[in-house]
Amino acid sequence: MLARTHTFTTETLQAHRVTVEVDIRPGLPAFVIVGLADAAVREARERVRAAIRNCGFEFPSRRITANLAPADVPKVGPGLDLALACAILAASGQVPGKRLSTHALFGELALDGEVKASRGTLAVAQATHDAGLQALVLASSDAHQARLVEEIEVAAVETLKSAVRVLRGGRGDRPARTPDATASRGPAPGSAAATAGGDLCEVRGQQHAVEALVIAAAGGHNLLLSGAPGTGKTMLAQRMPSILPPLSRREALEVARIHGLAGTHNGGLASARPFRAPHHSITTAGLIGGARRGWVGEVVLAHRGVLFLDELSEFARPALEALRQPVEEGRLAIVRARRSEVYPARFMLLAATNPCPCGYAGEADRCRCSESELTRHRRRLSGPLLDRIDLLVQLRRDGTRELTAAPLTSSAEARARVLLARRRQAARLSGEGLTVNADMDAPLLRRHVALDERGEDMLRGACARGLLSARGQHRVLRVARTIADLNASERVRTRDVGAALALRPEVGVQGGRPG
Amino acid sequence: MDCLRRSWLLAALGGPLDYHCRDRARLTDALALGDQQLMRALAGRRRSQLQAQYAAFAAADLLPGDGRVEDICHHDDRFPRRLRFPSAPRALYVATSARRLHELARGPVVAIAGSVRASDYGMETARSLARGLAAADVTVACGLEDGIAVAALAGALEADGAVVCAMPGGVDVIAPARRRSLYQRLTRRGCAAAELPCGTPARRWGQAASQRAIVGLAQLTVLVEAQDNPRELAPARLASTLGRAVAAVPGRVTSPLSAGTNALLAQGAHLLRGPADALELLPAGGPYGSSRAGRPAARRLEPRLQRILDRVRAGADSPDRLRHEAGDVGELLCALTELELMGLLARGDGGRYVPLDPQPVARRASPP
Repeated sequence: MLARTHTFTTETLQAHRVTVEVDIRPGLPAFVIVGLADAAVREARERVRAAIRNCGFEFPSRRITANLAPADVPKVGPGLDLALACAILAASGQVPGKRLSTHALFGELALDGEVKASRGTLAVAQATHDAGLQALVLASSDAHQARLVEEIEVAAVETLKSAVRVLRGGRGDRPARTPDATASRGPAPGSAAATAGGDLCEVRGQQHAVEALVIAAAGGHNLLLSGAPGTGKTMLAQRMPSILPPLSRREALEVARIHGLAGTHNGGLASARPFRAPHHSITTAGLIGGARRGWVGEVVLAHRGVLFLDELSEFARPALEALRQPVEEGRLAIVRARRSEVYPARFMLLAATNPCPCGYAGEADRCRCSESELTRHRRRLSGPLLDRIDLLVQLRRDGTRELTAAPLTSSAEARARVLLARRRQAARLSGEGLTVNADMDAPLLRRHVALDERGEDMLRGACARGLLSARGQHRVLRVARTIADLNASERVRTRDVGAALALRPEVGVQGGRPG
Repeated sequence: MDCLRRSWLLAALGGPLDYHCRDRARLTDALALGDQQLMRALAGRRRSQLQAQYAAFAAADLLPGDGRVEDICHHDDRFPRRLRFPSAPRALYVATSARRLHELARGPVVAIAGSVRASDYGMETARSLARGLAAADVTVACGLEDGIAVAALAGALEADGAVVCAMPGGVDVIAPARRRSLYQRLTRRGCAAAELPCGTPARRWGQAASQRAIVGLAQLTVLVEAQDNPRELAPARLASTLGRAVAAVPGRVTSPLSAGTNALLAQGAHLLRGPADALELLPAGGPYGSSRAGRPAARRLEPRLQRILDRVRAGADSPDRLRHEAGDVGELLCALTELELMGLLARGDGGRYVPLDPQPVARRASPP
């Protein structure tokens, strides 16, 4: 007898529909799975056999052939277990086949028949809707995630027995607890969760750095923090998520989908933006992914959030070079031997570095770096990545002297300013299909950034003095536009240009050290 | 011929000289020895071989320069008169012309020396000092090494002045190599001089020995920033042995980088506050004397800018220290940018703003 069930396998960030066909006919007892199954799926035989028996059903001792269609899509992971078990039960007449054509099944089985959560629930739920199926049967611990897709019916089940009950026309199990839709299950590994990131009011002194942080958040500008050890670069960076606007529902779904597939986040919708801070020993594959099928890198995990590279100059050159495409295009195309994948990767780049190898440049009696070491350090930094950084903040150690000073601003205040500025930008740029100033190119800059005469003079003077390159001019204009937005001004005033110039990221062209 | 042979001998003994003469005094003593004594003292096992080569030496053995290098020995009339002291170089290789060196050495020359690892303050002082001296037609003598020397070199070139630069190896060996563009600029109006034949790699003792030429050529030796150790104070010591004037730029008493210069001042060196002080120390009657030539009158600044500039000059050099000087952060940053664009401040390493001396607006017309 033949039975069909529907399930999904995940690839890249997509879930692909898989039809499980099971055929049972007389012969020597055997259980064969065909259709490009990976090791986890082939091992499903043992799990399915044990689960069926332990739930009190009969495992037919005849020749069982399972086909996973379409045959050319590789099937990965243990999420196909439940569909396979139900197909066998249906083929052996233990479950009516009526609901199998409308219900998708997704979940891993334990030997005792318990249905366990599997990665990529959100993607699967969306694919269920896209495939025109009505309901999704899955582990109850994941049900709250699947319920984010409101168009489909979600049946949460604890065991194979409950799944059979659903297929016979019954109801699913009630979830043991209703998880808070906004809470994640603890911070994802490698990321300091936004909740743990702290508040801006904990920052003392460094007023211009705080202001630059707000500017970067408002305009979506990439920011480089440079300063001696202990000046608070990391502290400032960690507070970036707290002043960024919260994720919209659409963005939150994207983020939840990516993190669900990567297994780094298993909760419902998060409103806080991802904050990824990989260590500088990270490899290229770790940063952009692509080491094996379905493996996503930090760049993708930082989608819609912040990628923080501490000790920028210590990162391997190839890893930084690999960042260029995602930083410029907001997406990442990985081409490997037999596949090419495109991931979304639109993030804000936040980097921190020491001003010189020893970290104390500018403090002549402490800095132990020679001229050539300084030159090498600058050259390492001034690679192509620096072209995409709009703001440079140099922190000085004595800024932290004022540890007792009153806090300058809180995250809530800063975020309110950021939101206002973002609204102004969105209104201006909606016709261009952009949302933030950082994405403006040269023609848009000409259209939207009108300087007064003194501002023009200033910019021209900076170029004449060799402080600014042509590309640098565009960066200054973008930043000046954002500063004006923060000050709720439609015109870009001289003081906005001046402040933007003071934060320009040109390293190694300043005076002080000739030669 | 004999003098060139000596330069060849010194190059051949480069290794032993480096090894034996870590101590400046010993190096000076060794360089005052005659050729035979020098070979006996330093050649060691290679002595007989070296003596044979010495006897068979012909000037043609030396690597020729690239045609722009002239050699000149102390028997020549054009050899700088101030360089005729016992331990002085016997011969010089000059790029590009010995005549130019002769001209420059007859006029006023000030040597600017100091620490290799200098603070922004030292660098900027050296630069503006050299700029002021060059604007007053004084020749600046210095080395090509990092720190004060290269700052002085750059400052003198900014004012389009003449520089005599002493090289630690052969005159065509630019060490460190990244100074190539500075080297080319300086040889346009000034000259580079070395006592070792062309192609000799730069060695440590050569660095020390080149100070003899720098200090020897100058009437006045200025130490801009030096730590209190014999190595960094060597130029001052050499100058006082030769009976030349020594001046030093004062620094903060707490800064170890200025400890040496402050110690010199305590011992009675002339105190230098700017180019004008240096000009007064030079023998009167030269073509110089108008230290203000080419310098702009102090510009009148808006009060808010002036206040910030004064604070930066007084040491509050980061935006964080200045935050009470302006209404808000944006205003402060804008004011700093304006000052930067006027050439009164520069953004330095580690988030500091470094006060600059205003550059001459109208450059001095080229001398005949």
